[in-house]
Amino acid sequence: MANEIWVFIERTAHGDMAGVSKELLGKARELADANGMKVGALILGAGVGDLANTAFSYGADTAYVVDDGTLAQYTTDGYVGAAAALAKKYQPALILTGASFQMRDFSAALAAELDTGVAADSTNVAIENGVVSAVRSSHGGNVINTLTFAPGRTAVVSVRKQSFPEPQASPGRSGAVVTEAMPSVPMRAKVVSVAPKQGAVNLSDAAIIVSGGRGLGSPENYYKLIPPLAEAVGGAYGASRAIVDAGWVPYEHQVGQTGKTVSPKLYMAVGISGAIQHLAGMRSSRTIVAINKDPDAPIFRVATYGVVGDANEIVPLLTEEIKKRTGK
Amino acid sequence: MHIVVCMKQVPRDNSVKINADLTINADGIEQIMNLFDEYAVEEALQWNEKLGGKVTILSIGPEDWKEQIRRALAMGATDSLLLSDPAFTKLDTFGAARVAAAAIKKLGDVDLVLCGRNSTDDETGAFAPALARLLGWAQLTYVGKVVSLESGKIVAERHLEEVVETVEASLPAVATVVKGINEPRYPSLLRIRKVAKVEIPTWSAADLGLSAADLTPALNLVNRVPPPPRPKGEVIEGKDAAEKVARLVDKLMEAQVI
Ligand SMILES: Cc1cc2nc3c(=O)[nH]c(=O)nc-3n(C[C@H](O)[C@H](O)[C@H](O)COP(=O)(O)OP(=O)(O)OC[C@H]3O[C@@H](n4cnc5c(N)ncnc54)[C@H](O)[C@@H]3O)c2cc1C
Ligand SMILES: Nc1ncnc2c1ncn2[C@@H]1O[C@H](COP(=O)(O)O)[C@@H](O)[C@H]1O
Repeated sequence: MANEIWVFIERTAHGDMAGVSKELLGKARELADANGMKVGALILGAGVGDLANTAFSYGADTAYVVDDGTLAQYTTDGYVGAAAALAKKYQPALILTGASFQMRDFSAALAAELDTGVAADSTNVAIENGVVSAVRSSHGGNVINTLTFAPGRTAVVSVRKQSFPEPQASPGRSGAVVTEAMPSVPMRAKVVSVAPKQGAVNLSDAAIIVSGGRGLGSPENYYKLIPPLAEAVGGAYGASRAIVDAGWVPYEHQVGQTGKTVSPKLYMAVGISGAIQHLAGMRSSRTIVAINKDPDAPIFRVATYGVVGDANEIVPLLTEEIKKRTGK
Repeated sequence: MHIVVCMKQVPRDNSVKINADLTINADGIEQIMNLFDEYAVEEALQWNEKLGGKVTILSIGPEDWKEQIRRALAMGATDSLLLSDPAFTKLDTFGAARVAAAAIKKLGDVDLVLCGRNSTDDETGAFAPALARLLGWAQLTYVGKVVSLESGKIVAERHLEEVVETVEASLPAVATVVKGINEPRYPSLLRIRKVAKVEIPTWSAADLGLSAADLTPALNLVNRVPPPPRPKGEVIEGKDAAEKVARLVDKLMEAQVI
């Protein structure tokens, strides 16, 4: 087993290195320094350009690169095939990836290919005496698990973004580039087309989320109250399952056990009772504001600030007050 | 077309407790079919109505999971298979996928495996990708629409965070479905009665030729705790709505969250 920690380098739509990859390089550097290890950047794609240098500037010692037309688009077979061939040859102790849908598809398949498991959607990772451990929540955030990987097996950990701070870049830093050819692997699936999602809301990325629930009474009232408040605070708008199922708001906006898990710096819940399945998706938000007319609503148990009152009265005043005070 | 749906039974909500031996205690919580698996069952049934063949519900779990298997049969699934063995109680996700892969190989004639996007208890989303790799089949995760399904080929939309990716893959394949792909039907009373006594075939580790080494977890659970309690909150008081709102905005600005 080589003494290396690898980070899969993800790109944004513009081809730059994704924030989560920088965060992971920072964490990998910290773990490597504490344990006498090295950091490898795993760079797959077609025309990967300057990514290796960017990876060096964020802490990588070596860039492992497969640059091949087959990898122009993400496919499980292509990406897992290339990554597994590299990992089998160079035997890293730990491979870190982000936890977007595509990365969860990738990391779980890669782990299986390497005859190991994946600690999925983790929020922390550590190495002690050569043993890799990861922390991940389950059961809608009600259970926090610490898992270890058996020594001698490559550990694969997908990490939720913003689990670690983004490090400072050191533009002059350099490293070694190891280039490998694309291995021949069966390609069982091909991407026919990619279309932007209509009305896509990436709630998981929003710093502020204002969500509404059944207490708003009607879809008209939801749209009259919630998006304007979200706009005033520069946030996105979310919803409870009750109103998604009732057809008021598209599923994209659902927060909770069977919707999105979010942890923005500010989460406002308006007319939401705070059922355990809703809390599952938002209880780790930094600041939670609850507006509900029932003082006994369970949402108040997790709220940082609670306002007991009628949303129809409170929300328009709040939107106006925020606009006035923040000068928007 | 033979479609297998991997179905997990889970607690209705996650107000679970942690036992001293770190196992999960869901006593007193109603058990239901994993929500995403309900969509998988419905999708399998709709294609079965068009194409004919079989829909087999497959679960790796204890005897009492038969309750949800019967629910899926009452929805319209034609066959079922429970993989149950005392040796399966400590499986991790990769181990469970190994057990499922052995069973699917033994069934021999499977064209498509449908799973949920994730389970709402363990939430790993890793079962289906592991299963696909173990079988050497194509993998399509986060499917929001199956565009076409015919002998040897599937075309499906993968609904990712910001894009919809249309993928064409060869069969056999493993796919996971997201909420919204369809509207799951309710089992009819008539069918509930009809399947109440149906025998559910059960295979053990020995039936699958699995050894203890095959079932060794890749990941070991070393600690399990409830989340740290949230700091105590405060109710914003005021003589009227305007005063409460003004105070709330003060607090939010002090905390620098707006
Ligand atoms: C398997 C499973 C998965 C689930 N997954 C999710 C999930 O992902 N996300 C989710 O949200 N739910 C989920 N649920 C549903 C959850 O249990 C609740 O039913 C749901 O969250 C309730 O939505 P709500 O709070 O909008 O509605 P309600 O529970 O009806 O609450 C409405 C609230 O509005 C308040 N109210 C009424 N009028 C006013 C007013 N004028 N002003 C202010 N407040 C008012 C009421 O006091 C009440 O507290 C799931 C359930 C199950 C079984
Ligand atoms: N024990 C199991 N038995 C049957 N299917 C399972 C089991 N575990 C996971 N699955 C399937 O895999 C999906 C994802 O589960 P998970 O990987 O646990 O998030 C579920 O929605 C099921 O379709």
